[in-house]
Amino acid sequence: MSAERIDPREPVSPAVSAPAADAAARVAGVQIDGVTKRFGDATALHEAWLKIADGEFMTLLGPSGCGKTTLLNLIAGFLEADGGEIFVGGRLMTETAPYDREIGVVFQNYALFPHMNVAKNVGYGLRMRGVGKREIDTRVAEALALVKLDGFGERKPRQLSGGQQQRVALARALVIRPKVLLLDEPFSALDKNLRGAMQVELKEIQRRLGVTTIFVTHDQSEALSMSDRIAVMSQGRIRQVGTPDEIYRRPLDPFVASFVGDVNVLPGRLERRIGETATVLIAEGRLSVSADTLEGIAPGAAVDLFVRPDAVRIAEGEGLVSGTVATHVYQGSHVDVLVDVAAARGGRVTVRVPGHGASTRWPVGTRVSLDFSPADAVAFASDVS
Amino acid sequence: MNKRPFLALFVAPATLAAIASAAALAAILQYAFRAYVPGSLNPGGLTLDNFFALLRPLYAQVFIQTVWICLLTALITLVVAYPLAYALVRTRNVTLKSFLLITAVTPLFLGEVVRTYSWIIVLGNTGFINSVLKGLGLIDRPIQMMFTTFGVVTALVHVTLPVMVIMLSAALSHIDRDYEKAATSLGAGPVKAFLTVTLPLSMPGVVAGVSTAFAWTFSAFATPQMIGGGKVSMISTLVYQLGFASFNFPFAAALSVTGLALTFAVLAMAKQAIKPLEKIGAH
Ligand SMILES: Nc1ncnc2c1ncn2[C@@H]1O[C@H](COP(=O)(O)OP(=O)(O)OP(=O)(O)O)[C@@H](O)[C@H]1O
Ligand SMILES: [Mg+2]
Repeated sequence: MSAERIDPREPVSPAVSAPAADAAARVAGVQIDGVTKRFGDATALHEAWLKIADGEFMTLLGPSGCGKTTLLNLIAGFLEADGGEIFVGGRLMTETAPYDREIGVVFQNYALFPHMNVAKNVGYGLRMRGVGKREIDTRVAEALALVKLDGFGERKPRQLSGGQQQRVALARALVIRPKVLLLDEPFSALDKNLRGAMQVELKEIQRRLGVTTIFVTHDQSEALSMSDRIAVMSQGRIRQVGTPDEIYRRPLDPFVASFVGDVNVLPGRLERRIGETATVLIAEGRLSVSADTLEGIAPGAAVDLFVRPDAVRIAEGEGLVSGTVATHVYQGSHVDVLVDVAAARGGRVTVRVPGHGASTRWPVGTRVSLDFSPADAVAFASDVS
Repeated sequence: MNKRPFLALFVAPATLAAIASAAALAAILQYAFRAYVPGSLNPGGLTLDNFFALLRPLYAQVFIQTVWICLLTALITLVVAYPLAYALVRTRNVTLKSFLLITAVTPLFLGEVVRTYSWIIVLGNTGFINSVLKGLGLIDRPIQMMFTTFGVVTALVHVTLPVMVIMLSAALSHIDRDYEKAATSLGAGPVKAFLTVTLPLSMPGVVAGVSTAFAWTFSAFATPQMIGGGKVSMISTLVYQLGFASFNFPFAAALSVTGLALTFAVLAMAKQAIKPLEKIGAH
């Protein structure tokens, strides 16, 4: 199902014929082939297909309960799949015990062993592998230096701040030189500033080490800022896989469009479709948009046009759609101008205006016209008809 | 005026009970320092003789035997209870969980005497074990289990098991499963993960369970009396004999007081031992 939705132009994404993928294609860091997981009657994961390249930073993004942790647990081997196969470094993982998978995991609550100091925590994986004491000491010191915690070896986890504990957890997972690094919402317990700093740091470390990384979050801005590619999930399905830009600007379904970033919805009607282009009638005009997302939709059907707030241009007079300025939301680097538009879903359109002059230029009550480039609009069949 | 108007009302019964038991303790304490007058229920003048008498090999022997039985019972109970508690906490299977809960915890509601009787049926010379072994042709003559330390310890393990299971389950259920997952992802097999992570993190529960089992066994009376049948002496049974067979209340009191002091000493040592471990558990 979901495999059909993956853009075939994207070179590293799995081919539509994923089941037939040849052995040579399995140099990819991780390959998930039609993996299904059920808990009792509920299906937590419906036949997931995903290929993650060597060294890639892949984010699993989706709302709570969509199956992100389940997929991560399947890769780590904490859960067994009900169907499908998982390959890591080209090796089939089904028969491999979790302790033999060489996968580093960073848990949401860090899961640092409270009865061991930092150095013992970081060295744990090396001790389990029977690495010599001298080498353990060097590698632990290196790992702690990597996460900027030199000299913290003797501390107990409870003597560290949340951010420091997070770094120890990262060092502990990385010191074993894992084939893959899995992180399950690692920053959700940190405050906003620290989270931003840790995002940058993780990204730098990941790039430096080149370790294949699968990062789970439900925070779309975190996903957009860190990932090489994002897999958007909902209700146990992978809805779209693509670069942050593709996900943001060319969402393949209404769920992805509204989950990633803010969006305005303008109801309209499909007039006709010629090749790659579809003409959509909205309130006061018509617009030619890409027909990719309208496959199988008959002319005359109700469609919704999705437009990002930053793609909407605001001007005086009449335009494609027009409305009345209702209020301003000051956001520092930009101002969100909320415009009452009768033709819009919810009666409102948000326009993101850079700078801070918007409130004086378009005071509340001003009649304005709104416009946007057809390239910035995506049309989907309406679920409300 | 009074922020907690019902406080006095609630506290009064507890205070009464506390006063009563303190008075009883004080009575025992003062008896322990009084001389025994043979043929009289009333004690004589102040003396330390009762405590010196405790040093006689016969009684010192009972002390050592009691401590030994208690330690043995506590440790065996730990070994039996740990897997039960672990399975109880970790299983997702509801049937298994109920089964474990029923087998491990319901004996608590049967009372010591009933449970001990059941062991007499099992351990007796014509009891369950001997009948089965005989039936299988493995033995000609019954193995003596009644009136032995083995029999007493076996029954005491059963008596202390529920409490130990409850205490260990409480400790184990507070250990985040992610610790084991983390250990596993770092290359530890199930046994190594258990030994290096779960077991150390459950130590506060282990120490609490063992010291409780120790104190519990120390004061057990019905089981050593019924299974030991006078052949296995513990402090509690000795106190009974001295007090109610010889009516030597002062000596019985001295024995009780010393036993109580010993129990406190053991609990205090356990508390010291837990201290560093409790910090571990706090996460
Ligand atoms: N052990 C389990 N037993 C039964 N159902 C489970 C179990 N684990 C997960 N589920 C169910 O599977 C679905 C997916 O859960 P999962 O934990 O993967 O979600 P998630 O995307 O990680 O959500 P969150 O962002 O809240 O962590 C949920 O509906 C959840 O209730
Ligand atoms: Mg989760």
